[in-house]
Amino acid sequence: MLCSISWADKGVEKPWLQGWLTRVIVMPEKEPVLSIKDLRVGIEGNEILHGINLDIAPGEIHAIMGRNGSGKTTAASTIMGHPDYEVNSGSISLNGEDLLELEAWERARKGVFLSFQYPQAVPGLQVGHFLRKSVASIRGEDAAKGPAFRQSLKSAMEEVSIPRTFLSRYVNDGFSGGEKKRFEILQLMLLQPKLAILDETDSGLDIDGIRVVSRGINAAIRGSDSGALIITHYSRILEHVKPDHVHVLIEGKIVKSGGPDLALELEEKGYEWLESEAEIGE
Amino acid sequence: MGALEEAYLSLEEPPRSDHLWRYTPWRRVHPTGDPNEIPSGISTPEISLTMLDGREISGITIETENEISAPFDGSPTSISFLRAITNGKAIHVRIPDNWRSKVPMVLDIKPTGGLEAAHIHIEAGKFSEATLLTRVQGGFEWLGLLRTGVTGDGSHLSDVLVNKSQGGPLVRVDALRLGRDSSLTAGTVSAGSASTKADIRYLLDSPGANLSVLGSLLSTGEMQLDHHIEINHIASNTFSRLGWHTACGGHSTSVGTGMLRIEKGAKQADAGQVFHNLLLSEKARANSIPELEVEENDVVGCGHGTANGPVDESQRFYLMARGLSDKEAEDALVAAFLNSTLSEMGSDDVHQWLIEAVEDALSDL
Repeated sequence: MLCSISWADKGVEKPWLQGWLTRVIVMPEKEPVLSIKDLRVGIEGNEILHGINLDIAPGEIHAIMGRNGSGKTTAASTIMGHPDYEVNSGSISLNGEDLLELEAWERARKGVFLSFQYPQAVPGLQVGHFLRKSVASIRGEDAAKGPAFRQSLKSAMEEVSIPRTFLSRYVNDGFSGGEKKRFEILQLMLLQPKLAILDETDSGLDIDGIRVVSRGINAAIRGSDSGALIITHYSRILEHVKPDHVHVLIEGKIVKSGGPDLALELEEKGYEWLESEAEIGE
Repeated sequence: MGALEEAYLSLEEPPRSDHLWRYTPWRRVHPTGDPNEIPSGISTPEISLTMLDGREISGITIETENEISAPFDGSPTSISFLRAITNGKAIHVRIPDNWRSKVPMVLDIKPTGGLEAAHIHIEAGKFSEATLLTRVQGGFEWLGLLRTGVTGDGSHLSDVLVNKSQGGPLVRVDALRLGRDSSLTAGTVSAGSASTKADIRYLLDSPGANLSVLGSLLSTGEMQLDHHIEINHIASNTFSRLGWHTACGGHSTSVGTGMLRIEKGAKQADAGQVFHNLLLSEKARANSIPELEVEENDVVGCGHGTANGPVDESQRFYLMARGLSDKEAEDALVAAFLNSTLSEMGSDDVHQWLIEAVEDALSDL
């Protein structure tokens, strides 16, 4: 990857000049945080993803948009290592390391984080205990104790407007939709992953909720070497978390990729025009 | 032969058609296996009462007394047998009227290895507030434990029995009667004894009585647990809830039978019972049979249910996505399953004490 410089974006028109400049200023490629090559995934024999390619460079935020049933959650779950999804072909790597042979917990410890669309309630498991256990598993025992942990927990809770009383509640048990999503982002901030996948984190949130959650995402990702993949139906969250690249997923294929403006275009025109293009392409 | 022995021997062996004895017949848990025999040489385990914070007990009396009978009829075979082998004597724990303490009491029962039995009678005085944690630990060949009691009007009692013993069988019979507007939180925490047969009964025959029965049970290895819980609503405006969680691993067998009875005249009674079994191995077996008899039409609600199943795979994946290995995730889910009833048994201090009491058993899973 060429240091995020796109000749077309910079308005360079002379091909010979492009070649010369390339030789002069090309930088060593940064390995993508996430690299997906020709990924084909199915469930119970039905293929859902039909050859996905995606590279996320360090510090980049990508968004995948698409209708219900287009394969967005399948992509997220597959990257996290959900056992129900069968990878038929292709590869997924994190900082160059193959993920496909790893179980979900091993991927988490390598630095993959999934903010669930529907976070599971675990009655009986206290939030405070769960957070310590999770941080210890992923970042090591020392990161989950002492004043530094308590301070980072306090700051993160303030950032996403979660009161301290949450610590004695049970994980997602009786939480409102907004509380569940804020709790997912709290975990994102504490676990400091290399790759954050946010599966419809904005669904069910009101305007203030989106703002709070976005603040947490920006705090966790911006200015770091982590990458993020935001999965969403709507462009609303992307007004608060500016993506570097937007991809449109239709029927298990990425049919179009572009910059942040693509999200606005989708908001305005819907998905139909892209479905037509995809059909023409086939 | 004494009157109590004669009274027991005059009884017929209870048939297996009886709900109580369906899964574990009396002769299987009788100390000699012969229901027509009353063995001699049954001793009394060591029993002591302390405050959880180490302070001296103040105001509570604990004395051995004769002639304490069960507060109501029920389970005649096992009550009669236990009264016969304890010679009608009971350790009487008396909480005076208006006595209140946030600090729990711990009643330690320590068998010393043989055939042993004890009758504990708990009397919570009017408007008293107390927490009694009864801890059974140590080894035995056979242990009979009869626990009877009454809660005085307006009293609040948390009564939690923690079984961490080795050996077995343990034959436990509870018969507690609730006073007017009193509340009883009755917990059972079990992570021990190879074989347990428990017959636990509550009588709500005074208006406004409020009962919460909670179980957190772990059966592992070759354990066989059989708990029968019977709740009788007789008076009006009585309330009861039963939440019974059993995690079953290894080759263990767990049975939970419930009888919820709303008698005619128990107007505005509100009752419900739910049994949950978490199956941790293919060889583990769990049966839950809640039964309901409602003879009063004017009730707030009355329901029962049961749920059996393995660890929820969605919950497991959620925890694994947070870095917990397969085993860690399962252990956490088992602990959470048991904790959801454990945490309702008392204050935060009681909860912490109970967690510490069972966490070593969880680590053996």
